[in-house]
Amino acid sequence: MTAPLLEVRELVTEFAGAGRRLRALHEVSFGVEAGSILGIVGESGSGKSLTARSIMRMVPEPGAITGGQVIFAGRDLTQLSEDEMRTIRGREIAMVFQDPQAALNPVKTVGWQIEEALVVHGVSARKARERTLELLRQVGIPDPEARVDEFPHQFSGGMRQRVVIAIAIANAAPLIVADEPTTALDVTIQAQVLRLLVDLRERLGATIILITHDMGVVAELCNDLVVMYGGRVVERGRTADIFAAPQHPYTRALLRSMPKIDGDVRERLSAVPGATPDLSRLPPGCAFHPRCSLAEAVCRSEVPPLAVVPQRPQNRSACHVALREGRLPAEPRHDDAQPAGRRPALEQPILELHDVRVNFGSRRMLFRRTAPLLAVDGVSLSVRPGETLGLVGESGCGKTTLSRAIVGLNLPSEGRIILKGEDVTSFDETASARVRKTVQYVFQDPYASLNPRLTIRQILSEALEMRGVARAEREVEARKLLGLVGLDPDYLGRYPRAFSGGQRQRIGIARALAVEPQVLICDEPVSALDVSIQAQVINVLADLRDRLGLAVLFIAHDLAVVRHLSDRVAVMYLGRIVEEGPAAEIYARPLHPYTAVLMSSTPRPVPDPQAMARKVILRGDVPSPRNPPSGCRFRTRCPIGPLADPSRRICIEQDPALAGAGAHRSACHFPEDAARAASSDKTLAAAEGTSTA
Amino acid sequence: MSAGGTSTARPVRRVVYGERLRRYLGAFATPRFHAGGGLLLVLTMAALAAPLIFPGGVDQQSRDSFLPPSPGHPFGTDELGRDIFVRCVYALRISISLVVVAVPLAMVVGTLMGLAGAVSSRLGDAFQRLFDIILGFPSIVLGICIVIIMGPGWASLAVTIVIFSLPQFGRLARAQLLSEMGREYVLAARVLGVGKGRIMLRHILPNTLEPLFVQMSLSMIAGIFLEAALSIVGLGIQPPTPSLGTLLNVGIRYVYAQPMYTGGPVIMLLLLAVAFNLIADALNAAVLKTRSEA
Repeated sequence: MTAPLLEVRELVTEFAGAGRRLRALHEVSFGVEAGSILGIVGESGSGKSLTARSIMRMVPEPGAITGGQVIFAGRDLTQLSEDEMRTIRGREIAMVFQDPQAALNPVKTVGWQIEEALVVHGVSARKARERTLELLRQVGIPDPEARVDEFPHQFSGGMRQRVVIAIAIANAAPLIVADEPTTALDVTIQAQVLRLLVDLRERLGATIILITHDMGVVAELCNDLVVMYGGRVVERGRTADIFAAPQHPYTRALLRSMPKIDGDVRERLSAVPGATPDLSRLPPGCAFHPRCSLAEAVCRSEVPPLAVVPQRPQNRSACHVALREGRLPAEPRHDDAQPAGRRPALEQPILELHDVRVNFGSRRMLFRRTAPLLAVDGVSLSVRPGETLGLVGESGCGKTTLSRAIVGLNLPSEGRIILKGEDVTSFDETASARVRKTVQYVFQDPYASLNPRLTIRQILSEALEMRGVARAEREVEARKLLGLVGLDPDYLGRYPRAFSGGQRQRIGIARALAVEPQVLICDEPVSALDVSIQAQVINVLADLRDRLGLAVLFIAHDLAVVRHLSDRVAVMYLGRIVEEGPAAEIYARPLHPYTAVLMSSTPRPVPDPQAMARKVILRGDVPSPRNPPSGCRFRTRCPIGPLADPSRRICIEQDPALAGAGAHRSACHFPEDAARAASSDKTLAAAEGTSTA
Repeated sequence: MSAGGTSTARPVRRVVYGERLRRYLGAFATPRFHAGGGLLLVLTMAALAAPLIFPGGVDQQSRDSFLPPSPGHPFGTDELGRDIFVRCVYALRISISLVVVAVPLAMVVGTLMGLAGAVSSRLGDAFQRLFDIILGFPSIVLGICIVIIMGPGWASLAVTIVIFSLPQFGRLARAQLLSEMGREYVLAARVLGVGKGRIMLRHILPNTLEPLFVQMSLSMIAGIFLEAALSIVGLGIQPPTPSLGTLLNVGIRYVYAQPMYTGGPVIMLLLLAVAFNLIADALNAAVLKTRSEA
């Protein structure tokens, strides 16, 4: 074991508020070994980003580091002057930010921004230019000579994040702090960026602190792990040890509440009750005690120290119970509410889409556009009563547009939408009324989907009024609805502001259910929520679906969540369905390379040092739907298409139709090879790795 | 029941009816708002109570023309020996009454015109083109046109201020409308089948009001200055009725003999502008504060 490159000791960061000081970081301690990747995981408000900022001495006003040490290369960073610190930032410790849109200056070329990082640390202007080109090549930007003088808006999100990384490694800083570097990116792009980080560590020998909320990313990348909750480190140790036997109830709950991409669908997620605490209102004692099933009297009054767990000496945990018992006692698993066996629905579809197209280009607008922009291009789907259809795809593939077309928020330009056997495509008065009564929608952003000016009572009453419930009965009905989604009916008089994200999402579900719909469309209902909250909402959705016999169209980008809830899955790419079929079959044996790659790219919460190496990394970005590629739309990125095998001209010339025997269909000319795309095809993966580098 | 063992944490904060109102009042309780509101209150009270304080009326003449400022005549006297301070206070009646009537009227009408797009996009577009036309005229030219049609006086000034202020509210409401229309709670209401008019009044309007109140305060300043500008060139209030504009109109001729003849009305204009500006500032800060808390 080598000496740590960076050691954080008892770090305390406080914010000066009105008359009092708010402690945001409580005695945070950890070390990073040279050449390793340390993961800091936590949910929103856990203090993980603030820890990164504190290391960089970039705590936002009115915050300040008020205690502890940050020892880097033998020096205490907290004692340095601002001038000394400036020479360290960028040269000794570099930072990669979460949002690549915001991390680059939009009015300067990317070349200028990389050169700036070099010049401020004393590189001459001429050398800086050369080094910039080299850096762009290193982070895998194709054709760097041409692109160096382009502006950030000319780069895609993934490419922008590469530029941010190029800036971070410009001065060969031995330590890189990456704050949620892939949270804003799609899963295939995330895999590209994570691969790049791993490559850079191997090539440049850099040490990385990776801050993330995604246990999957941690499992695949990090050697060591720090788990934060409520501004404290609650568990620390080797990633493999922690995943094998977490010694803090929070870590364990977090791991259990994640839906597994290859797990048993029937299994109920074990949700963590309650919400992540606000740093300004931390509960006394152990911050996790209100949500902990093992909580005792001592947990409510005394803050547990972070100490070695007697029977698991590799792990350090801040849990009274684990420290006293010698290890974390097993949690009694309450399998009381086993969901009823779901039988395949054999009835007639309640909702059918035939060849639906949504055109955004020739919409009536102030400035008319002539070129059609087909966000949805010929999609046919059907959902039966009681069935859940999962719709998966990356951002911009048209899944939200499609779902909004079903309820008439976007009007389809072609195709037919059939609801309970009747054509409602026109969305005229009668058709709209029919749709409203049958189909309801749960929106993505729980913070935007409830009107902040209305109380929950008003919000639900409005929906009930639409169903035609008499004024006098609305109160009773509204209380029933809140009970249905697991909220206290006494909350009716409150405003949305008083609720957490997960609670708001449940109110959104209650509102949708107020009109007693038969079809529920859920557009990424959990993607804005913390992992421990996600499970609550997923469970509520699954329960209601089974109890009320709802047909659900569940839209998500997270394959594990879709797998957990869906009977059937449809995969969407660039406005088309590329694969459709029973969930179990698709996940077991994908027949389209895109599906295979999506599954391979999704990080799994299973520690595996080889995980990154085995992944198939897609080249490039999703093409613009304004100008889709000829033939198969996926061919410009396909790992088994003409890029890998030039003899496959058919992919360029012919558009594959959605075909296949039985219920499992895919739109690929070589479906039998699709599974190979996800398997460890070393030659291909290696070729990808070098071609992007 | 609880949906499968997921018990609920109690919302962190108890919210009751009227709490929002109290929060607003709390947000207003700033020195800026107190200063602006206090100043406006003093000016308004003075204007309202002018006949009681100065029972002699505005036209009480004397031999003592062009007296310098003194405790008896704070701004001195004019060419006919009338007290300029008294005339200034009386002039406030015109200014304040004009904007207090015209600007809220413009706000209500303009906001509804701006939000009309929620009900009919064609109607909404038509109103925006109307605003383009109004904005095409400089305010003075607009005033001249209206005075030609209606004849000079309080009413034509009021109409001018209303028309001049309409686009300010209409545009602002339109901008708010466009951002609100895409918000998910508006979409949710549409999916529920809530009527267009009701979406506009219940979901969009309450979320657009705050910036409109800030604009109202600013438009009042503009209205006061518009009155002064039109009256200076003789298109507004006609002498001998004192208004800040007519006082300036005459005062400029005697600027060497009696500097306070112009100075007095200018001081009043500035006091009004400062008062409304402080209020607008405080409102704006309150909007930002409550928005960030929401």
